[in-house]
Amino acid sequence: MIVDVNAYLGHFAFRRLRHNTAASLLAMMDAKGIDKAVVSSAGAITYRNAQAGNEELAEEVRGHSDRLIPYAVINPFYAGWQDDLKICREQFGMAGVRLYPKWHNYQLSSPCCRELVDAATERGMVISIPIRVEDTRERSWLLNVPDIPLDEIVELVKAHPKACFILLNGLGYTGCPLGRKENGLPANYAIELSRLSALLASELGQLITNLGAERLMFGTGMPFNYPDPALVKLEVLDASEADKEKIRSQNAMAWLRL
Amino acid sequence: MNTQRTKSISSDSPSGISRRTLLKGSAAIALGAAAISSVRGTVKQTAAGASSGPLGKGKVIDCHAHLNHHSRKTWEADDRKLIEAADKLGIDQLCCSTLTPRWPATLDGFRECNQWTAEGMRRFPGRVLGYCYVNPGYGREALEEIRRYVGDHGFMGIKLYNEYTCTEPVVFPIVELAVELGVPILHHASHSHYFVEDQPRLTDGGHLAELARRYPEAMLICAHISGGGDWEWTIKALRHATNVLLDTSGSVTDAGTVEMAAAVVGVDRLVFGCDSSMTAGVGKIRGADLAAQDKQKILGGNMMRLLGRRKA
Repeated sequence: MIVDVNAYLGHFAFRRLRHNTAASLLAMMDAKGIDKAVVSSAGAITYRNAQAGNEELAEEVRGHSDRLIPYAVINPFYAGWQDDLKICREQFGMAGVRLYPKWHNYQLSSPCCRELVDAATERGMVISIPIRVEDTRERSWLLNVPDIPLDEIVELVKAHPKACFILLNGLGYTGCPLGRKENGLPANYAIELSRLSALLASELGQLITNLGAERLMFGTGMPFNYPDPALVKLEVLDASEADKEKIRSQNAMAWLRL
Repeated sequence: MNTQRTKSISSDSPSGISRRTLLKGSAAIALGAAAISSVRGTVKQTAAGASSGPLGKGKVIDCHAHLNHHSRKTWEADDRKLIEAADKLGIDQLCCSTLTPRWPATLDGFRECNQWTAEGMRRFPGRVLGYCYVNPGYGREALEEIRRYVGDHGFMGIKLYNEYTCTEPVVFPIVELAVELGVPILHHASHSHYFVEDQPRLTDGGHLAELARRYPEAMLICAHISGGGDWEWTIKALRHATNVLLDTSGSVTDAGTVEMAAAVVGVDRLVFGCDSSMTAGVGKIRGADLAAQDKQKILGGNMMRLLGRRKA
């Protein structure tokens, strides 16, 4: 069993994506042996009204709830986000949210964002945060969206010990408290592996040592990314089969209550 | 110096995976049984294999790798980790340069780097092939360095970084010497839609296309299309520059990169590389929607063809 906690459907404003419909993504998952994937709307990253992307996603995943787990993109500075969250949870059955503070131009420390985290947590939703969408060197001439500094994530996880965070598309965790042993932080966050090294410096191996395999999850970033690099990481990772199984699916199954 | 080769994962992998299954992938996308060769030869043997066999009998060559600068305390262990990573991933040979930690490189700086690359070739015989790294600004000394290491030490090519944009006249004698020796130049390159302040003389695909027009007999490799900014721009800029190959290395794993490059410039102009992003390098070739035969060319066949054009 492989569960991918980092997948997307729909169009991205700055690059054509392939395998971005439910049918096509499922075919890709079949080819790669990926059983389930957490998906959110790629379009909602740049839509002003992110809820339109959530509606597209809900329509796209209909009939595939056994394999595609939809997450809502919510911008806590946009009018009506509380209604959107309620609809996404209650009508669309979305089990988590994805936050894009840099793309949507707000601070994780802002009261609105804190209110959203609390509201999602009260509804039993996981909060998933992509540290980046694309490599910043590729960025369009229209915008300059930085990665989320990891110290901003540190403050967020500290402020919301009851929330569950999954951090996507990040690296460099071992250089900050998030990836250090006995860091004094609540164990309320998990780290997805798509940008972590599994060889040479092996940040993935260091994180297993420092935090335990229970805190790591498999993710690809497909269809933005090829899924194979993430799969290869697990294949070459110097870890026990029991730890790999936790990363491959068990941790995600527990956190996502699958 | 330890000259012992590391074990193949086929004998020590805890998961029991083999080099062949790794490159083939766990599912439908396969590279073909011929993709992996257990024979590792020297540069000379590699070139001979390329000329006599079908796409080099499946050798996998990383066209863009680096040995560690010796100012790094763990350089020796880190070099060994590179070879171990290559073992795990089924990479037979790595074309390595050693770069100075600061740029522009001084004369002494690149000289000691090349000395260390030569040592690396001796420590890992048949696994490490050497690029001679120079700063073209040193003129005669840079040319002498290339003659020494390519000519006398068997280095396979020349590595140029960001000291000069490749279209500056100071670079031309280097290109002319590369043509004379019949070796490729791997040129650091990137194209972003903003000015890269810390690399003011950065080369991009457009510059390399211009250089290629000036020297149609040169063998140029545009470094890391998957770590050099807007890869769609780079691929399009190089469409008509038929003597420029595109190195697939880099940390970026954007889906579709390899397929677009294959469609625009053709698979014969793509060469596999990692540039230290090991699983990214292998994963994007494994994941690309291309025929096994085409992947074979990218993984090693094209590089072997290039190495076979050496004149000296």
